[in-house]
Parts: sequence; structure tokens; C-alpha cells
Amino acid sequence: MLILLVEDDSAQLEPLQTALSKVGHIVDAVQDGETASWLIKEREYDLLILDWMLPKVSGIELCRHYRNLNLAAPVLMITAKDTTADKVTGLDAGADDYIVKPVDVLELLARVRALGRRSPLWQGEMIELADLRLDLTHLTLERGVDNIQLSVKEFQLMEYLMRHPRQVLSRDQIEQALWSWGSEPESNAVTTLVRRLRQRLETLGAKDWLETVYGMGYRLHSPN
Amino acid sequence: MFERSRRRLAYWFALSMGSILILFAFTVYHRQVKDQMREFDARIYDQAKRIAASTTYQKQGESWLIDTENVSLRDRNALESKIIYIRWYDFQQRLLQFTGYSPHQRSQVTPGWQTQKYDFHLKGQPLSKHLRRLTLPLKDDGSPVGYLQIAVSLGPLQTSLARSRLFLSLGIPIALTFTGVVGWILGHFAMQPAKRSYEQLQRFTADASHELRAPIAAILSNAQVGLLASEDDDQERDQRLSNIVIQSKSMSSLVANLLFLARHEGQLNPQDVANIDLVELLSSIAEGYIDSAIDKDLRFEVDLPASPVEVHSDRDLLQRAIGNLLDNAFKYTPNGGKITMRLEPKPRQVLIKIMDTGIGIPEVDLPHIFDRFYRVDKARTRETGGVGLGLAIARQIIKAHDGKITVVSEAEKGTTVQICLPLQPQ
Repeated sequence: MLILLVEDDSAQLEPLQTALSKVGHIVDAVQDGETASWLIKEREYDLLILDWMLPKVSGIELCRHYRNLNLAAPVLMITAKDTTADKVTGLDAGADDYIVKPVDVLELLARVRALGRRSPLWQGEMIELADLRLDLTHLTLERGVDNIQLSVKEFQLMEYLMRHPRQVLSRDQIEQALWSWGSEPESNAVTTLVRRLRQRLETLGAKDWLETVYGMGYRLHSPN
Repeated sequence: MFERSRRRLAYWFALSMGSILILFAFTVYHRQVKDQMREFDARIYDQAKRIAASTTYQKQGESWLIDTENVSLRDRNALESKIIYIRWYDFQQRLLQFTGYSPHQRSQVTPGWQTQKYDFHLKGQPLSKHLRRLTLPLKDDGSPVGYLQIAVSLGPLQTSLARSRLFLSLGIPIALTFTGVVGWILGHFAMQPAKRSYEQLQRFTADASHELRAPIAAILSNAQVGLLASEDDDQERDQRLSNIVIQSKSMSSLVANLLFLARHEGQLNPQDVANIDLVELLSSIAEGYIDSAIDKDLRFEVDLPASPVEVHSDRDLLQRAIGNLLDNAFKYTPNGGKITMRLEPKPRQVLIKIMDTGIGIPEVDLPHIFDRFYRVDKARTRETGGVGLGLAIARQIIKAHDGKITVVSEAEKGTTVQICLPLQPQ
């Protein structure tokens, strides 16, 4: 999932970002509401995780703003404010869930999974293309009895390709979908990543599934 | 919550004031009725006396002849126009004479006052009126002659009382409404202090929970991410552990500050109090800030008198208070600015001034800056500024020294903090 994580305290932001990335999410981590309110218009997020108290634009305002744009991705509020009145305010502003600090990382990941299941794009814990199966929780790829463990980046590329089967995806599209906002991947990063994924696919005997369309990009399809 | 208290206050105020008002109004009305009645009666009595005096009697055997020739009703006044009838009876209560309304039945003659209702027909319409009747025994040299009966309509009196009742029935609700409104307004003022301290408490709890939870949150998530890391990823684990160390230290300093505030509330510890030279103390504190002044390209001026200035105080605490103020000055003064620390001895007190050309404090925040955990930056960004205890600690220390700390600030211009410490009488 593409997640926007907004938290002004970098000491709290960084571990959450790491934890979310480790389970395969692409995380745009920003520290102020202003940047965040610009980003929600630029990128299509699957989930927003917002801290309440932020400099310039608060998490609540951000949430209202997001809902006013008629965007429907779930919003998870994280805050130190724990009174019932605060929770009501948070949920009324359009948040779907509410976690009080200190955030238990395992709980956060579980809630993110739960919110993901509610998404209209939810296809289950597995995505399938012909006899190729991608396990979203364990980051593994299966074909028949064979089973391989993917790295986070390989998994993210595989997920992106499998969610857009038979489509030609350009290098730019892949770059934008897989890398966090503001990070600058090396010029050949996509090529290297595709090569690495092909090697992994080879072990499953599916190397030729990932096809290079010259001058355009890449495409995942079942040869049969 | 405050709205409800305010409503209740207004309600009780209106109710109590209203009851007093209604009681007062009824008393006044009651007195008015009695006074007017007495006055009315007095006038009837005068009239009756006059009539009695102008009536002449002649004894004829056992009975008396009553002559009403001389009775004159010509000097008509308001009362006379309302006379319904005048009747003369002999002492056996037989009607002898009458003017005005004719009796249609034989009525009982009892001396004294009566209030009666009588019915009559006016142009075929049945009407009823109240009348006041006085029956006066007539005497001649002490022997009873007969009775004079005079009846007057109570109409004018009733009209006047009706007017009073109308005035009261309109006036009381208006006054009650007015009391309610006044109570509502007073309630607002009465609620203000409670509301202020409630808001302050609310702010304190919210801020404290934010400050206490932030390091815990960071420690917890770092620890959990460390545990999630694969076994051979030593670098990741080391990174997490060192983050936890940093966060634990900041947590520990926060707790230390809170404990400090709790422990040093009130009096100084007499063992730690001694005569210290402020000039020496301030110059040693200033030395510690020279490096940061150079780093931030700040002009740091220290203006101290040549001779020592001795005060009776706890050196460590005073150093901490002044250190907190200087920390703030350095933190909130942009590069290229100027910070001045000045010591001004006065006859009975000594002033320590710390002036900066920093970002200043907005006027709305000035009354609160000494509150624990209060920060001008509502988002409480960790990158700029601390947890909001520095000034609270400084003030508590200065207060314990019987001193005063004041802040004058202008946004974008700078801030001046002044500490005023009393000098020991020599």
C-alpha cells in the first residue's frame, strides 16, 4: 500500500516508517502538515496515518481537508490526546481509526492491515495471476509447490506488476509507485530491480513472464 | 459544563431576586389598599358628620321628627358624586327619609362600617357594584335619636387599585426578565475565574501527556522495530538501541525536571543558602555560553559592575534559573542577533536583565509562559524548543528567593526577562 505518514517528531516518525516499509508498504514520511496537504493532492494514497499535533496544519485539519477533496482512503489518527471528547473530534473529522500514543508497532501494523481489508481494491491476502501467487503478509511468491521469499523492494515491484497485469508500465510509473516522495532513486534503479526480480522468477521457472517492451517499459503476463 | 453552571446561577439569581421582588410588591400593594381604604373611610365619615350636623331633629312624643331641609349636597366633590344614597332611620330602625337610591327591602341597620354588593338595573342591564356604607347613630344630648346611613360607591377606589394591580402584573414579569438577564450576565463574570483555571488545568494535562508520551512512544517503537529486524541485521539493531538510549536520556531529563519542580516548591533548603557574589556567578555562567554565541554568530554582551554584589541565595538553583533564561535567549535569537546580560544593583534590590533581539513572544501567550509545559508553539515541535518547563523552573527558583521575574516582549523585536532579587539588609 502507498501510505502517507505524518508525524512531526522524527524520533517517532522514523521507526514507524521503517516498520511499515519492512512489511512491504511504500511510505511517504513527512514532518509537517503543509507538505502533507500538498502531497495528498499529488499522490493517490491507500492510507493516511496522521499525528494530531503538527506544525502549521494540524492532523485534524488535514483529515478534514482530505475528506473535503472527496478522497476516500482510510485515515488513521495517532495522538497523545486520549479523552473521549478528543476521540470523538478525531473520528468526526473523518478519521477511520484512532490510536493513542505510545503506539504499539504491532498494533499499528494490525490496524493498517485491517484498514487495508476495507479498501475497495482489497483482493485478499493473496494476489494471483494464473498459477503465480503473491502472499501479501509474508512477502512470498509461490508457484505450484515452489515458494520463494522476496525482499521488500522486489515484493513491492511484484505487487505493483500483479495489480496491473498485462499492462505496459513505464519506468517513470514504476519509479513513482515504488519510491517514496522526495527520494531520488539512481537512474538505473528500476532496471536493476527488474533484473533482480527476473532472477527470482527464474527459480520458479517464470522468468519470461516479466517482459521488457522496448522503448516503453515492462509488462507482466502469463505466456500461456 | 460552564454553560450549565452559568444557567443555574442565573436561574437561582432570578428566582431569589424574583421572590424578594414579589414579596415586596405584595406588601406594598397590601399597604396601599389599607391606606386608601382608611382615607376613603375618613372622607365618608367627615361627610356623614357634616350631614348629621346639618340635620335637625324635633322630639314628637316618643319619636323624633327629622328635618333634612338644611342638608346640602351642593358643594359637590368627588366623593359626593359617588354617594349612592343617604338614609335616616329612627331609633327603631324605621326608615324616615332617604335621598338617592331607594331601598327595595327593609334592611338591617347596624351601626358601623359595611362593605356590600348591590345590584341594580341601568337601562335594563343588570349591574352590580360594591359600596361602602357607614351607619352613624344620631344622638341628641346623649339620647339616641336615630341613625344616619350613607353609602358610597367603591368604584373610584377599585379603579385606582386596579391600576396598581395592572402596573404590578406588568412590572413584575418585566423586572423578573430583567433580573434573569442580569443574572446571566453576572454568571458570565462569576464563571470566568473557574473557567480560566479549568482551561489552564486542561492545557497542562494535555501538554504533560504529550511531553511524557513522546519519548515513551519513540522508545517503544524503536524497541519493537529492533525486535522485528532479522537476527543477522546487527546494524539495524544497533541503530535501534542507540535511538532508545537517546530517547531514554531525554525522558530522564524530563522526569528530573518534573521532580525538581515538585521538590523545590516553596522554601529553600537552609543548608544550601549562602552569601554569594552575583558578579562572579554571572561571569562564570556567561563563560559557558561564549561558544554557542560564536557558533550562532551572536553578539553576547555581559554588563557587570566592578565591585561584588552579594545576595543570600542557593547558588546552584540561581545558576539553573539564569541558565534556563539564557538557553531560551540563545534558542530563540536568530543568527546575527544580540544578547545582553546586565546586573544592576539598586539600594534594596538587585536586577538581572537578560535581553535578546529574538523572535519575541506573542502578546496572547505572555500570561501563560510561566505555566508548566506551556509552549508558544502549539504543535510542540521537538526540533525547535524544549518541553516547556524552563521558565516554570526559573520562576519557581526566583520565587523561592522572594524575588520576582517579569517578561517584556515584542514579537519579532525581542524579549527582556528581568529578575529582581531582594538584597539582605546590611
